[in-house]
Amino acid sequence: MYVNGKGRRVAITGLGAVTSIGTTAETFWSAIKRGENGIRPLKSLPLQDLYITVGGEVLDFDPRERCRTKALQLADRYSQYAGVAAAEAMAQSRLETPLANGERAASIIGSGAGGLATLESAYEDLFIHKKKATHPLTLLRTIGSSAAAHVSIEHGIKGPVFGTVSACSTAAHAIGLAFQLIRGGAIDIAVAGASEAALTYGSMRAWQAMRVLSPQGCFPFSRRRNGTSLAEGAGILVLEDMEHARNRGADVLAELKGFGMTSDSADMVNPNIEGPSSAMQIALDDAGLAPSDIDYLNAHGTATTANDINETRAIKRVFGKHAENLSISSTKSMHGHCLGAGGGVEAVVCVQALREGFVPATIGFDEPGDECDLDYTPNEGRNKKLVHAMSNSFAFGGLNAVLVFGSGAG
Amino acid sequence: MDDVAEKIVAILRKNMRNPDKEITLETKLSDLEIESLDLAVIVFDIEDTFGIQIPYNANEDVQDFATVGSVVERVKSILAGSHASGAAA
Repeated sequence: MYVNGKGRRVAITGLGAVTSIGTTAETFWSAIKRGENGIRPLKSLPLQDLYITVGGEVLDFDPRERCRTKALQLADRYSQYAGVAAAEAMAQSRLETPLANGERAASIIGSGAGGLATLESAYEDLFIHKKKATHPLTLLRTIGSSAAAHVSIEHGIKGPVFGTVSACSTAAHAIGLAFQLIRGGAIDIAVAGASEAALTYGSMRAWQAMRVLSPQGCFPFSRRRNGTSLAEGAGILVLEDMEHARNRGADVLAELKGFGMTSDSADMVNPNIEGPSSAMQIALDDAGLAPSDIDYLNAHGTATTANDINETRAIKRVFGKHAENLSISSTKSMHGHCLGAGGGVEAVVCVQALREGFVPATIGFDEPGDECDLDYTPNEGRNKKLVHAMSNSFAFGGLNAVLVFGSGAG
Repeated sequence: MDDVAEKIVAILRKNMRNPDKEITLETKLSDLEIESLDLAVIVFDIEDTFGIQIPYNANEDVQDFATVGSVVERVKSILAGSHASGAAA
C-alpha cells in the first residue's frame, strides 16, 4: 500500500516503557494521566559533593523478576530497561517469537551514553581499588549496541540490528530510521527506541559541571523553570508494515506517519530556530499533513532557559496562527529528561494520547515564562479528540528529530 | 586590579578566542565573546584555582556574571564565606 509516493504505511502495534513513574507502558500512562511527579530526591547514588540531588530514578525494578533471560539479568541496567520494554512491546503486538521471518525484522535501540554505570564501576575498581582486572562482562555491558543486540537475540531478529547515538534525539532517530526501513520495504517489523541509565555519580557530577540542571525539578515553559532534571528509562515501539499487521489481525494502536531530521550546524549547546523549525516542517511534509492537522504536540520542553524559548519560537514559525490552538505539553515535567530515551518514552505518550483522546499536562507550572505564551496544558491534562500528534526531540549539538503520529484509523 | 581580579582575568584570557583584548572590571563578558558553555568552563577553572564552589546555574544566574567585575565580586564573597566556615571545619 503506497501513500504520498513514499512507500508503505507503518503501524505501531506494541508499546513498552520503563520510567520513574511506571515500569510498564500501562502503569506509566496511568501515572501520566494522574500528573505524577517522578523527580524525587536521589536514593541510589552517593550525594557527596552534589548540589543537584534530584532526578527521575527507576526504583521499582528488580532485574531478576523482570528480565527473562540470564544474559539480560547480567547486562547493564540500560540494556535491562530496553530488554524489558521491548519484551512488553512485543507481547502487546502478539507477534510470535522467535520471529518466523527474522531477516525481515530490525532491532534499532539507541542510548545517549550506553552502559555508563558499568564503565564507572570498572574504572573505580581499576583506578581506586587497584583491582587486577575488571569484571569480564565490562565490555559487553558497556557498548552502546548491547541493548539492540540483546533484543535481537531474545526475539529472533536477524535483519538490521544497531544502536543510534544523538544525545537527546537518540530514540527519535532510532524510531525514524526504523520507520523509513519499513516504509521503503527493506523490513516488515522493527523494535525501535532507546534506553538510558545514566544516573550515576560520575554522570551527575559531569552534568552538574555543565550548570544546566535544576536543584528543584523540571518545570518546562513556566516562570520558575531553572534547568532540567535527569531521569532514566526506556521507551520502545513495535513498528510494522500496515498490511503485515492487518493481515495477521493485529491491533493497530496508531500509525507513524512522518519523520524529519535536521542539524542546526551551529553550536553545541545553544539551539537556533532554523534547525528545529525545518525538522518539524519536514516531518509534516513527510506525513502529508498541514500544520493545522496536528492536534497535540509533545514538546522537547527541557525547562532550560534556552530550549523553551527557542522551541516556542520554532513552533510559532511552523504552525503560524494554529500555534495558538495547538495543545502542547512537556511530559518531562513528570518523567524527567530521559536523555537518549526521551523520544521513545514520549512516543509512548503520543500513541496513548491519540488512543484515549487525552492531552497530558505540563505539571509544576506556576505561570508562563517570558516568551512562553502558547497553550502548554498547565497542570491539568484534558480530554480532547486527537487525530495527529507530533513529538519533538532536540539534542545537544543541534541535532533535531521530529516524529508525527496518526490515530491509525482509515 | 588586585590579586583575585588578576587571576580571574588570566582565566578569562585562557578561554577567549582573542586573548589580547583589553579587559577591565567594567568589561562585559559578552564583549569578550564568552558564551554560556565558555562560562561553565570558566566557572570550573575559577573553582579549581581558588578551591571554592560557585553555585552557578546557566538558567538563572547569567546576570550575576554579566561583567568581569561582577564575577570578581561573586568570587570574593564566596572566598570570604569559605574562610569563615573553614575555621570551623
